[in-house]
Amino acid sequence: YEDLHTFELQAPTRVIEWAQGNRVCVAGYGQSGGNEILQLLPPPTLQVKETQGLCPERDFKVECGGFSNRPVYSLKHVPGTSLLVTSGPPDSSLQIWQVSAEDSDVIKSISAIPTENGTGQPWAKIATISARAPWVLHGSRLSSVQITEVESRKNVYMAASRNNEELSGLAFLDCNALLLCCARGQLCLADVRQPQSPLEAASVPSAPCGERWCMGVGRGPQGSDSSSQPVALLSSGGHLTLTDLRKTSESLASAKCGVPSPSSGAEFLCVSWAPALEGCLAVSGFDGTVHVYDTQGWDSSGREVEPIFVHKGHAFGGPGSSGGRPLVTVHTWHPQKSRTLLSAASDGSLHVWDWVQSCGNC
Amino acid sequence: MPEIKVTPLGAGQDVGRSCILVSIAGKNVMLDCGMHMGYNDDRRFPDFSYITQNGRLTDFLDCVIISHFHLDHCGALPYFSEMVGYDGPIYMTHPTKAICPILLEDYRKITVDKKGETNFFTSQMIKDCMKKVVAVHLHQTVQVDEELEIKAYYAGHVLGAAMFQIKVGCESVVYTGDYNMTPDRHLGAAWIDKCRPDLLITESTYATTIRDSKRCRERDFLKKVHETVERGGKVLIPVFALGRAQELCILLETFWERMNLKAPIYFSTGLTEKANHYYKLFITWTNQKIRKTFVQRNMFEFKHIKAFDRAFADNPGPMVVFATPGMLHAGQSLQIFRKWAGNEKNMVIMPGYCVQGTVGHKILSGQRKLEMEGRQILEVKMQVEYMSFSAHADAKGIMQLIRQAEPRNVLLVHGEAKKMEFLKQKIEQEFHVNCYMPANGETTTIFTNPSIPVDISLGLLKRETAIGLLPDVKKPKLMHGTLIMKDNSFRLVSPEQALKELGLAEHQLRFTCRVHIQDPRKEHETVLRVYNHLKGVLKDYSVQHLPDGSITVESILIQATAHSEDQGTKVLLVSWTYQDEELGSYLTSLLKKGLPQSTS
Repeated sequence: YEDLHTFELQAPTRVIEWAQGNRVCVAGYGQSGGNEILQLLPPPTLQVKETQGLCPERDFKVECGGFSNRPVYSLKHVPGTSLLVTSGPPDSSLQIWQVSAEDSDVIKSISAIPTENGTGQPWAKIATISARAPWVLHGSRLSSVQITEVESRKNVYMAASRNNEELSGLAFLDCNALLLCCARGQLCLADVRQPQSPLEAASVPSAPCGERWCMGVGRGPQGSDSSSQPVALLSSGGHLTLTDLRKTSESLASAKCGVPSPSSGAEFLCVSWAPALEGCLAVSGFDGTVHVYDTQGWDSSGREVEPIFVHKGHAFGGPGSSGGRPLVTVHTWHPQKSRTLLSAASDGSLHVWDWVQSCGNC
Repeated sequence: MPEIKVTPLGAGQDVGRSCILVSIAGKNVMLDCGMHMGYNDDRRFPDFSYITQNGRLTDFLDCVIISHFHLDHCGALPYFSEMVGYDGPIYMTHPTKAICPILLEDYRKITVDKKGETNFFTSQMIKDCMKKVVAVHLHQTVQVDEELEIKAYYAGHVLGAAMFQIKVGCESVVYTGDYNMTPDRHLGAAWIDKCRPDLLITESTYATTIRDSKRCRERDFLKKVHETVERGGKVLIPVFALGRAQELCILLETFWERMNLKAPIYFSTGLTEKANHYYKLFITWTNQKIRKTFVQRNMFEFKHIKAFDRAFADNPGPMVVFATPGMLHAGQSLQIFRKWAGNEKNMVIMPGYCVQGTVGHKILSGQRKLEMEGRQILEVKMQVEYMSFSAHADAKGIMQLIRQAEPRNVLLVHGEAKKMEFLKQKIEQEFHVNCYMPANGETTTIFTNPSIPVDISLGLLKRETAIGLLPDVKKPKLMHGTLIMKDNSFRLVSPEQALKELGLAEHQLRFTCRVHIQDPRKEHETVLRVYNHLKGVLKDYSVQHLPDGSITVESILIQATAHSEDQGTKVLLVSWTYQDEELGSYLTSLLKKGLPQSTS
């Protein structure tokens, strides 16, 4: 490691979201209420400047906090605003929060976006954008995909689909194009300007059924066409498929990453592209480790690949861990520091690590 | 309602100086007496005029308690006791008593000698102040006077730091000072029992921090030292003599052993003597591990760490040196610093807070050209690093402590109100207690609900529970008795008993009420009607028809006579004693409602 920070949160989180001003948001997912949503100020050692400030503290500061009765399974920051959107069981509605760091340090719940399907629906996946206005794209099934304007809570788009497939993720490719990933692995594209046309199933993975899939969408530099970045699909069996959205009939590359058995389910599967390292992606959710892969040089054979780095810190458990190995619940890349990642695990640990590339391009 | 009043003292909203005034059950206690390290003028002292505008502080304050030796908790003590004037007792733990004067003297030297200030306390004042100090042991109940008692609890944080419980009767306050809930290499974690104080006062400055783990900090420290030594540089670590220096030495020794490093590590002799001495004296204050190792071997007999000699500073090649004083303001550490500052391969690792005016403070703020004595300019090319090992409780730690102590109210000091709202809500939600956040100079009043135990005589208890008007288990029962307060005990006895004890004669009060009833029949028939009616209604009571024509309900007497002017009206005389007031009133209203038509 070049650098390593390990922290212990009071409650484990399964979201790590970057918010305004390089802040990081985390939230609890306990079933019995009293979950905290925290906006943290990262320590100065994580600031972008290479030459450190003179007295770099190594601690996170809790800037603001709020309380949520529901477990928070997904949290997204609405770009350009001080609003956060969260979702979680028992239904697919969304909660909107206001972070007002100036007047007080409390994150206030300001409203909720209910959904018609009622309780019993799986929790909604969310994505946000602030192109024409602050929008949130959400839904728990293909049939319930919609875009709501955050401030007015007006519905702006409704997907014309009767398909009840459960979603595992959704994303804005740009201000008009939507990408939806089903839990069974199909990718669908939609255009906001054409709400009536049915969703086009873009690709179906060629892997054994019964696996759950999730996706990672590359975030190119501002202004670039997002659809030029391949989409990575990860399955609960460890299959990784890269697909180019312009040519969805066949996958770009396919590989398999080593997965411990028995597998621990697909609850926390997470795959994401490095924002500043060409072709690198990170995978987590199988155990207490985070794997980083270099996809350059992958072919379509689906063979097993070796990671270029493995972060094992969470597997050892913190001081209070009692029985059961911790599971990495989520990870994310630092937007500017190319080899820095943040990862959280089910034992409440939060790690920030910067690895040393042993060979190849640094 | 009895109340506890808390006023954090100080001028302005600044964090950085601890001095809290508590008023509990008529006693006034001052908690800590710290100096604000950022100011050079009178603003660094707490504003004692809040305590009393006129009149002597000694008369007003019952005692002063100091939690630990950090200057922001005890720095203003000599000023307070000798310059403002206070002659009452000052309580602190034994280690604090031993270390305070050293720090105060050091601080005095910097302020007066280096900065040339005049309005400051003198060495003699420090000595006189310390003479007023009464040292206490952990978990020892100390009677300040007949009613006020205090007890110290282990707080971790630094050697000798304690949390104090202040108790008057059944009202109590716990003040935490600075504490730490995670044990480190040489100090344990804070601990308190379920003392359920009415109020817990805790510092909240670090509540918003989520601390990096010890392992990572240490890793970072070792990495920095290793890198410097590898490139041939020298590392200077100014230390404050106790605690942290020990930890860092153990760390380096283990690391050197594991990595098979050859660069020498030195420890200045002044440190060795002092540290040894203090560790021997206060061995009970450190944690188990240190105690065991101390017994087995001398702490400073390291394989790789040797005693330092001044001449070594000029030796070529890499080395690591621990030297005092910690803020680079004088002495050996400053000397070494001057020799090594010009070389960019070298590094200085500052272990913590440095007082304004010291070289340590200047370089931590980024200054690279320092003016030394004789107007010499020293250019600092060496790397300046900061390593904070000081341990404070974070939000998780505060919650843990509240869970241990179970206070009825919580008060947070030293935080800006708007930055503490989240913590306040967190505490209120989790523990369902009130959480207060006063600003400096603002008084917070906390109302307490003391329970006063009273002995009740058995006879009275039996009697009161026997008589009853359809008693309801859920409703509080009204009892009549006499409260005798004697010699700090309370007894509840029957009035007869009380009168007997006092030697007074008992007077009886009897009430009589007239109830008019329309009934043309003869008196004795009316009486029969009344008797049957009452017997039917008051099934649980003893209703009797006496031969002389009167009715008794328990001890209440009812007699009927004819109205003098109107034969159709009968007058019922209802008569009862004061003790039977309830029943008497009830009977009267019952009878006023009239008798049922049918008679048996």
